[in-house]
Amino acid sequence: MTTKQDTSADVAPYTEPSGFQEIHERLTDLGVTKVAVYAALGVFLVWSLFPVYWMVTATLKTRDTLLSFPPQWIPLDAQFGNYAQLFAQRPEFVTFITNSVIVTVVTTIIATTVGAMAAYAFVSFDYPYNLDFHLPFYILSTRFMPPIVTIIPLFVIFRGVGLVNTLRGLILVYTMFNIPFAVWMMKGFFEEVPESLVESAMIDGHTHLGAFFKIVLPLVKPGLIASAIFTTIITWNELLFAVILAQSAKAITVPVGLASFVTKFSVQWINMSVAATIALVPVLLFAFIARQQLVRGFSMGAVGK
Amino acid sequence: MVTVEYDSVKKAYGETIAIEDIDLTVDDGEFAILLGPSGCGKTTTLRCLAGLTDPTSGTITLDGHDVTDIHPKNRNIAMVFQNFALYPHMSVRENIGYPLKVADVSAEERQQRVEEVAEMLEIPELLDRDIANLSGGQQQRVALGRAIIRRPAVFLMDEPLANLDAKLKVSMRSRIKVLQREMDITTLYVTHDQEEAMSLGDKLIIMDQGNIQQIGSPDTVYHQPANQFVAGFIGSPSMNFIEVSRDGERITAQNAPDAFDVSLSTDVADRYRDHDEFTLGVRPQYFTVHTSEAANAIEATVEVTEPQGDEQIIEVEIGEQPISLTLVAPSTVDANRGETVWLTLEDELVHGFDNTTGDRIGEADSVARTGQATSTTGSQT
Repeated sequence: MTTKQDTSADVAPYTEPSGFQEIHERLTDLGVTKVAVYAALGVFLVWSLFPVYWMVTATLKTRDTLLSFPPQWIPLDAQFGNYAQLFAQRPEFVTFITNSVIVTVVTTIIATTVGAMAAYAFVSFDYPYNLDFHLPFYILSTRFMPPIVTIIPLFVIFRGVGLVNTLRGLILVYTMFNIPFAVWMMKGFFEEVPESLVESAMIDGHTHLGAFFKIVLPLVKPGLIASAIFTTIITWNELLFAVILAQSAKAITVPVGLASFVTKFSVQWINMSVAATIALVPVLLFAFIARQQLVRGFSMGAVGK
Repeated sequence: MVTVEYDSVKKAYGETIAIEDIDLTVDDGEFAILLGPSGCGKTTTLRCLAGLTDPTSGTITLDGHDVTDIHPKNRNIAMVFQNFALYPHMSVRENIGYPLKVADVSAEERQQRVEEVAEMLEIPELLDRDIANLSGGQQQRVALGRAIIRRPAVFLMDEPLANLDAKLKVSMRSRIKVLQREMDITTLYVTHDQEEAMSLGDKLIIMDQGNIQQIGSPDTVYHQPANQFVAGFIGSPSMNFIEVSRDGERITAQNAPDAFDVSLSTDVADRYRDHDEFTLGVRPQYFTVHTSEAANAIEATVEVTEPQGDEQIIEVEIGEQPISLTLVAPSTVDANRGETVWLTLEDELVHGFDNTTGDRIGEADSVARTGQATSTTGSQT
């Protein structure tokens, strides 16, 4: 594990201080005070979070107060009825959310699993013609072209095989788009796991697959979680393919549902805000829960070579 | 407790040959050391036995059972890796007990055997620590514990002490030796450190360029090296090699015939009766250094002296196109850079090597020579 540690005194390895201290010292040298740093961070925070704040508060306003000038910064007369109103006016929105959850969960599971196994294969096996080096790049290269280029052929193919307006079709497309990222992300993590750990596990009685599940996967858990978060966010928010490939209510996902509030004649601001706020909750929850696992994974101890 | 046998084992990676033709038997309970320079194939030889590398051809048997194509998990072997290969997501207790857990041994028995092993390695206080918080020496013991807990048939170690500092190395070395003797497990141990090899092994297997150069006890490989490679590799400082011509009992260095011109005793000269030219091998310890002119001596100029406490290493040059020699002399010899010294040979202890094959000449005299050599080194150290 820690082969490069200083064993001359046979003491436990020395832990480097975090980089924050160095940054702090350098800023102090430049005469930047704490107040200035916090002020800058504060501006950045407002800049990032204000749109979210505006969206959430919009759900509690009436159409008049939302569009009033000067704007009403804090909704004084909270209209919680807006939430009930969305489902009353657009009952199919429940289906959209269900569709999104199914598509996202299935895509995340498939993409992360396939991505992880592919990445492990590239890292730990030798293929002829140096393919273990070249193939990952070719896999990533499928993402080089603008996605819109593939939409028309995909639509034609999907219509031919009956995948238009189905969740299966969406899952297929999203899995295809997420696997390259999952492979690349996981590859880096697997490369950090010393080969001798797998060999040791095999000598201790595991098959190679057993060693992968019992020894390697627990060690790359942070990577698995990171790529799961990544896949979830991309899939949950995807609009372009969904809008073309899913046009009937049985396959429409949340982003398409949100877009449908913009019609030729009006924009349903309140309903749209309510729906968007509801759509925000699942990803946010997932990211928060997963983040704790992520931190725990990283602090578990270094996996050195 | 098994006998390990390699039969014509070869491993090639495309054009590159890692091991060419290994025939080797390690007896039941024997401590065998694979010793050689980097890239000589010693680790590949070990990995073939572990099942981590598939030999290109040849067979490996354990007690007569062919294991060449058997998965590592079914070979009943244990291995200690150079980087210890401890599982970072488990505690010390879980690491040591892991082979038993995989083998579905009950939790109570596992617990009990982990405690036993920890006691044996004097690490019971570490059992509930995380691997990341252990020092190198402690990690090493945990790795040993994980290897011995299963009471394997064969014990493999791949440079297990390479990552430890010098002092720790010596103490771990004796611990490994005691452990191996107590458990009486057939052991193969890879190292490039000849001192480690000499002090641990019953049997040394000296390898170079994918082949075994010599198999023998530490004494045998030191005093009766099979060829010039083994002679040069074993011993510190390395043996001096001088290309010489023989005329009766007189030998002269080919590069410096005037400066290096000595008479051998009759029976020593007789060993080389079939060779008019050969390579003379003299260990640095087998020159006697005189500060005044002596009979049948070689005149040399001191280049460097390196004091080592009770002895010193002296580099000297002889002749016009200088031949460099390394000598070990007692520190009482007063030699300084630029001064002239006279060297006499303990000619009973020199070796001759065939110029073309590199093999040692004069097998017949080895017994007498070994007897004397052992007593000489005994009195020096």
